Amino acid sequence: MEELLADVVGVLVVIVEACGAAVIIVGAVRAFLRFIWAGLRERSSSAFVPVRLTLGRFLALGLEFQLASDVLRTAVAPSFRDLAQLAAVAAIRTALNYFLGREIEEERRQVAAERDVRAQGVPATDPADRVRGRMV
Amino acid sequence: MTTLQEVTSTAATLIVAAGVVSGLVVVVVIRRPPLALGVLLDMLVAAGLLRLVGTPGWPVLATTAVILLLRRVVSAGFRAARHSWSDDGDGADGGAPAQGWPLSMARLVHPAWRR
Repeated sequence: MEELLADVVGVLVVIVEACGAAVIIVGAVRAFLRFIWAGLRERSSSAFVPVRLTLGRFLALGLEFQLASDVLRTAVAPSFRDLAQLAAVAAIRTALNYFLGREIEEERRQVAAERDVRAQGVPATDPADRVRGRMV
Repeated sequence: MTTLQEVTSTAATLIVAAGVVSGLVVVVVIRRPPLALGVLLDMLVAAGLLRLVGTPGWPVLATTAVILLLRRVVSAGFRAARHSWSDDGDGADGGAPAQGWPLSMARLVHPAWRR
């Protein structure tokens, strides 16, 4: 019975981890293409903020899947050493999830502020461009 | 090493390469090294997360932890730099000087936090 449970959990762990990895890979590839697009087409640093925001969301979602797989793996971790490694991985993922959440919130505020400025009719300028005296 | 780990390891390597390319594009086109570093670190974090798939060894865990720590330190450094550049010290980018090179250089030498 225990072996059957271990087998089932093992399969579930692989499936959930694969889902998390797929989310992270898709997010990274999408972000890479949009980084290149923003760099070559829009040529403004403000164009990169939404891209980083989206990448952060993908990473946070992928992390949720990976944390779920960690929780599943605790059901079948056989030795103290395995448990210690699992705890380290879970700690890293939890810390990153926390910091990513804060950064996403921060960047979302930044995007909202820029949208407000545009809505008030002020031309959107990039801070670095303003320093150089150039309008976007 | 399982198939999933092989796939994620290869993907992690490709994502690191993509991060380097993205950072170079930002440096060359936008000419803002801090932004390029942020982009590169974002992609490195994605690669580090992919390397954590499966049952990673302690070196991989340590590397990922160092990348995350580095990311936090660099972000804090950039925020502090923004504070020093802004007039009112609120950290908003809008406080950046609109004038030309001499005032920018003066603020670089004497940032707001030293006044």
